[in-house]
Amino acid sequence: MIEVRFHGRGGQGAVTAVRILASALYLEGKYTQAIPMYGTERRGAPVVAFLRIGESRINERDLVHNPDIVVVLDPLLSRTVPVTDGLKEGGLIVMNFPKPGNEAGIGGRFRLATVDATGIALEALGRPITNTAMLGAFAKASGLVSLESLEKTLLEQWPGRLGEMNLRALRTAYERVTPPVDVSGIQALGKRPQEEIFSRDVSSWRIFKPQLDEGRCVGCRRCYIYCPEVAISMTQGKARVDYSSCKGCGICGEECPTGAISMIQEVL
Amino acid sequence: MSRPIPLHEIGEKEYIDPANQACQGCGGAIVSRLVSKALGDCFVRAEVACCGPAFMNIRAPSIYVEVFEGAGALMTGISRGLKRIGREDVVVLGIIGDGGTVDIGYQGLSAAAERNENILWVCYDNEAYMNTGGQKSGATTPYAATTTTPIGEYSRGKLERRKNVPLLMAMQGAPYVATASVAYPEDLLGKLVHAKGIKGFRYIHVSSPCPTGWGYDPKDTIKVARGMVQSGLWPLYEVSNGILKLNYKPKELKPVREVLKMQGRFRHLTDEEVDRIQGEVDAFWSRLVEKDGGNIF
Repeated sequence: MIEVRFHGRGGQGAVTAVRILASALYLEGKYTQAIPMYGTERRGAPVVAFLRIGESRINERDLVHNPDIVVVLDPLLSRTVPVTDGLKEGGLIVMNFPKPGNEAGIGGRFRLATVDATGIALEALGRPITNTAMLGAFAKASGLVSLESLEKTLLEQWPGRLGEMNLRALRTAYERVTPPVDVSGIQALGKRPQEEIFSRDVSSWRIFKPQLDEGRCVGCRRCYIYCPEVAISMTQGKARVDYSSCKGCGICGEECPTGAISMIQEVL
Repeated sequence: MSRPIPLHEIGEKEYIDPANQACQGCGGAIVSRLVSKALGDCFVRAEVACCGPAFMNIRAPSIYVEVFEGAGALMTGISRGLKRIGREDVVVLGIIGDGGTVDIGYQGLSAAAERNENILWVCYDNEAYMNTGGQKSGATTPYAATTTTPIGEYSRGKLERRKNVPLLMAMQGAPYVATASVAYPEDLLGKLVHAKGIKGFRYIHVSSPCPTGWGYDPKDTIKVARGMVQSGLWPLYEVSNGILKLNYKPKELKPVREVLKMQGRFRHLTDEEVDRIQGEVDAFWSRLVEKDGGNIF
């Protein structure tokens, strides 16, 4: 039996991804289980979902504690969530990261395959929903599921144009995913201690960040008053963004009457 | 009647901590920030189950009770206790979701209004039980798709009309009742400041869009809220001692189609259904205009 854990953020479709993957594997004659984790799944907040794949009937009904494979749908999630916890030695991590695996800041006796799923999703769907791209990467890196059965399940899930767009994301990621590299010699990066889960730093939630053009800011205070996070303050009649509290929702950019705030993609 | 507060008059001081655990673009987070800014230093907050306890990090004494229906009773207790110790200057505020107001908490709300308790009830209305994944509530707009009113062969979304709690409260004789929207902070703050100066039961119902449950891009929160007001789906009015006043009264309402089209929960609507919504909105709006400036009953 192979156990998989998906890490994502609310809105990236981790739960949908495990369901599609389970259906695709079922088509290939496997026994499967897709388990969503119940909790406060807010958009942008860390979420997990689990998958079991077996050659015979699966009797476990528990959450997955010692996965063989971990799939990470968000590039910065591993900085705040212990994604490698319980992962078996020699296990595989498939991660959404725009750079090679040895730069992802994950260390341990694992293999790591990376793919720029955010970039692919923005290209194919126009929105940073990375689940289908990560499924393509998973198929190539793990070799557990064929692209054909995934494509078939995808089109069943979303018939029509949406399905076609997701199909493009799936195929592109299947082609672009890097081969798994060994990350045993790498020092794991900046993980916060566990007790700080309610940290006020939400900067890793965002994919786009607001960029202020001070010359065009007229100090009308609309961005300041509409910001849900108190991330914008007014100093000397100009808006100023505090990036550690900004989730990148984009309300400020949308409401700015002079177009002084533009949303630009975060560069890792 | 309230006086809108211009944006440049709004104070710099913040009463909530920066960043929270709410979704990106959460309307409720904007509500919590504006409400605390308007009330200033001197208030106590009551809360029941909703998204609020998870993210409304207001720097004020807050009391949370697990009983969903208990908001009215809880606020009554706080307000009576404050009266006993001679601190009637402290505003007893409840930021309660639409579930705790319109459905589950309605008996407590209605009873508190009947007794004319000295409390300020702010309902932040995201039109469903969004904390648990978006089940239909009494405040959900008709025809909306929610997890309990899904779209399928035999279901076309929510069928029932929405319960108009602001008008119900006004008919119960509450001294001050108002509706507001996050897209009109001047109006919302003006109403809160006005309500702060009144004794007795005050009720403000704030429309606060939910990007996750309503199915739109988080950046459009204000756009959707504004569209709701401009199309007449969410009229802004206040009822002060039985006299109704429309706060936003355009010459012509925008068609509802535009704002419905922005939201995923209305994606399934046929042209006839949109026309039916338009008809209902127009009928309610014309009655409001008729009553504007006069007694509501």
